[in-house]
Amino acid sequence: MFKYILTRILYFIPTLLIITLLTFLLSQAAPGDPVETRLQGGTQGAQGGGMSEKQAGEKAYIDMSKKLGLDLPAFYFSLTSMAQPKDLHKVYRKKERENLQRLIAEYGNWEEINAFYLSIKELETSLFEVPRDSNTFAGLQTMKEGINSLLNNYEDIKMSADLALMEEAVNRVSKVKVDSVTYTEVAYFSSVKPIFEQLKTNYAAIKANATPWKTKVPKFNWIGTGNQYHVWLFGNKPWFGSSEDPSLKGGFIRGDFGESYLDGRPVSSIIGDALPITMGLNLISVFIAYAFSVWLGVFLSKRKDTKLDRSVSIVLFILYSLPGFWVATIFIVYLTTNEYGLDWFPTYGLFSNDLSETASKWEVFKDLGAHIILPIIAMTYGSFTYITRQMRGSMLTVLKQDYIRTAVAKGLPDQVVTWKHAFRNSLIPIITMFASLFPVMISGSVVIEVIFSIPGMGRVGYEAVLARNYPVLFTVLIFSAVLTMVGILVADILYSVADPRISFTKKK
Amino acid sequence: MDTQNENKEQTTISAPKQVKKAAEDQSYGAIVKRQFKKNRPAVWSLRFIILIVVIGLFADFLAYDKPLMCKYEGKTYFPLMNEYLVALGGSMPQELNNIVDWKSTNFDYAIWAPIPYGQSETDFANANYVSPTAKQNVKSKRWWHWLGTDEIGRDVMSGMIHGTRIAMMVGVVSMSIASIIGIFMGAMAGYFGDEKLKASFSSIILFFLALPLAYFYGFQLRSYAIAEAFADSLFGALAQILLGLAIFIAILVLANLVSKLIDKIFKLKASINVPIDIIVSRSIEILISVPRLLLIMSIVAIAKPSIMLVMVIIGATSWTGIARFTRGELLRVRNLEYIEAAQSLGYSEWRTIFRHAIPNSLAPVLIAIAFGVAGAILTESFLSFLGIGVEAEVATWGKLLSLARKNFSAWWLALAPGFAIFITVTIYNLMGEGLTDALDPRLKQ
Repeated sequence: MFKYILTRILYFIPTLLIITLLTFLLSQAAPGDPVETRLQGGTQGAQGGGMSEKQAGEKAYIDMSKKLGLDLPAFYFSLTSMAQPKDLHKVYRKKERENLQRLIAEYGNWEEINAFYLSIKELETSLFEVPRDSNTFAGLQTMKEGINSLLNNYEDIKMSADLALMEEAVNRVSKVKVDSVTYTEVAYFSSVKPIFEQLKTNYAAIKANATPWKTKVPKFNWIGTGNQYHVWLFGNKPWFGSSEDPSLKGGFIRGDFGESYLDGRPVSSIIGDALPITMGLNLISVFIAYAFSVWLGVFLSKRKDTKLDRSVSIVLFILYSLPGFWVATIFIVYLTTNEYGLDWFPTYGLFSNDLSETASKWEVFKDLGAHIILPIIAMTYGSFTYITRQMRGSMLTVLKQDYIRTAVAKGLPDQVVTWKHAFRNSLIPIITMFASLFPVMISGSVVIEVIFSIPGMGRVGYEAVLARNYPVLFTVLIFSAVLTMVGILVADILYSVADPRISFTKKK
Repeated sequence: MDTQNENKEQTTISAPKQVKKAAEDQSYGAIVKRQFKKNRPAVWSLRFIILIVVIGLFADFLAYDKPLMCKYEGKTYFPLMNEYLVALGGSMPQELNNIVDWKSTNFDYAIWAPIPYGQSETDFANANYVSPTAKQNVKSKRWWHWLGTDEIGRDVMSGMIHGTRIAMMVGVVSMSIASIIGIFMGAMAGYFGDEKLKASFSSIILFFLALPLAYFYGFQLRSYAIAEAFADSLFGALAQILLGLAIFIAILVLANLVSKLIDKIFKLKASINVPIDIIVSRSIEILISVPRLLLIMSIVAIAKPSIMLVMVIIGATSWTGIARFTRGELLRVRNLEYIEAAQSLGYSEWRTIFRHAIPNSLAPVLIAIAFGVAGAILTESFLSFLGIGVEAEVATWGKLLSLARKNFSAWWLALAPGFAIFITVTIYNLMGEGLTDALDPRLKQ
């Protein structure tokens, strides 16, 4: 038995690994730049400022991507075209990196593209040497827009147009008043001009020396453990001893789930708040579902094929087909507001907002109770059908057995035959259903929690999906998967406990 | 009831025919049909499904914002037909293009659809949640909003009809995908088990070498083309993905051919066991362990809203039930004599599987498909209820239901779409029940 459980737990590992891979793949494919989300446009402000602000913005970006672990290559290996360099991840900004990738896919000559990219960056810095006044304002503006456009475009038409606009700005000569009569002509951008010329030649070189064949040849790059996935999952902190460097991470399996992309809150604390709520609601729901349905199943099995049996079956079937989110919506629309005169329950959340700090435990309990009645009903009614049917079916099978006839013939009272002899033996299929019920309940809690605004795992996961908050989503998915697998395992174990004939160890 | 009628009929028809019918009755199909017909709810749900399909197919003829046929300035037009032609690359007649407000144009005559409103057409005169029972600002009963309107004046009835089409498509598309994957995986696992599928050393090595190549040439090299096709049109995207898939498979097949050649030259034997049953069973377990709803949501959320994508992803994640059923059936079928006969006749494994084994084990899979359709419709409607993965101009039942949360006094928005979802899910579940009963060999007399 112990060996069996151990094997099963070992089986968890590949499953979890595949889930982590899958979610990681999703996070890689997602559009948007989490670093920018986290900085909330903090670097945008630096655009208009001077050199130091620009550098500060750049540094903040790099620091944040290091903090979020996004400064590393994605995976242990990568499959790219021959044209793409191995260390493209060193271009920190996601947008720029993606644009460079498009350029590479177009022309296939990284050396030239790299030179071009560096000269754009050089031009960007050199612009700070140009004095800022009313004469240079328009020119600087054109240059900045041009640089921005060059960094975010890959089509030749657009880029050539940008370069032409910038050239005009570079060559502009402004008339400056020396005194009240004389003007002198000053080319403010003369210092920038050689750099701009270099940029132009570099761009021409990209087009002239294009090697598109390189993009058609695959290349396999081995990267090693210094990658995002590895650091996220296993961490890069030393396993033994302590480390002073705060930028090193513990990794998922060491309990460091990272922090939310949105507000930097540790994921463990978000999950810590949400998990008990979902678990609590599901446990109550499972308890009610089993307690009611097992009784109903036994009750119906003794009235097989009566009118009552048939009509209850129909009602149960209808309940089974009722979509949970519709029922929940109906509850909210009709039972929680005064619109139809049935303002019986609170609408959203777990507690009332106006619940005072000094409220007694009983009041808090009453408030919580009023809030969870509707969600619990909406979560539970669907499983009634399933369990009741199973219970009724297995009771009927057992009641046909010889030993039940013997018990009745022996003159045992009806209650004893039902509950002591038949009931116990018909419980086995009900226990296994626990396994198939568990994933359904976890999925179901997404529906109910979202509609009733209950801050449990389902809602946290849903919000993480919408905000592309991957550290949170990873954790929710993995926790749910573990819960599901543990549920199935527990059901299997209970199965063998309930029926000693079932054993998982091979008999020889 | 039906069986009674049948019996009456049987007694009245002539004797030779009766004998023939009795002989036919012994076939499995006939038994199943009879069993199914006995189940009244299942028969009714089948009729209802046909009704849904008809409504879905002819949604445009039932609810359309322009006349179906009209005479305008002396000429007869069919605006709906023209719109179909536009979708196929034609163009709208200039005279029709000039019409801005169809409802107040004076036609010589015009035949309107039963519901003369489009799914995203806004009736400003009746905006802001007009109840079906309240006073509506319409010319006559002909223009009545039978199920009221929503906030910006869209006709709910029209949305319901067009939503039927989406629900129908969700069932068809997602279950087709799920069936293809599920039947294939289940058949592999059931037929070969863990011991029967042998591969040669060279083919395994070549497979793993060809896999990255196939991925590179099939998808990575063309990733920008695929992304652009997605942004452009649905059919373009589908074509691009199919092309990628074709390249992918072609490279793998090529690798397999090369390995066969190598085997022949060096006289190598297929000696390595591929535990296909374990592989399939484990992947089913993995898929079951992940909360499906969150998984589908997270995939859908990173792409552009597209109802087609939602269908594809629902299909790609809901094949587990079908695979299990197929596997179970194949485990039974593979030991039957006729399969042995096929093998001893020297048919290839693939021919045996696809021509002989699978067709005989499809019946129980229908059960999984019927329940699967119900599940897919539920999932899709919940996703559009949350506003995930559905385009702004498409009306679905789930989306209509979500409007009820914005305005609690709009009771028709809470009732109509929910009822439609409920009825559809119920009839598919009833179908599943009916099929289960009809196909259950224990009930055969």
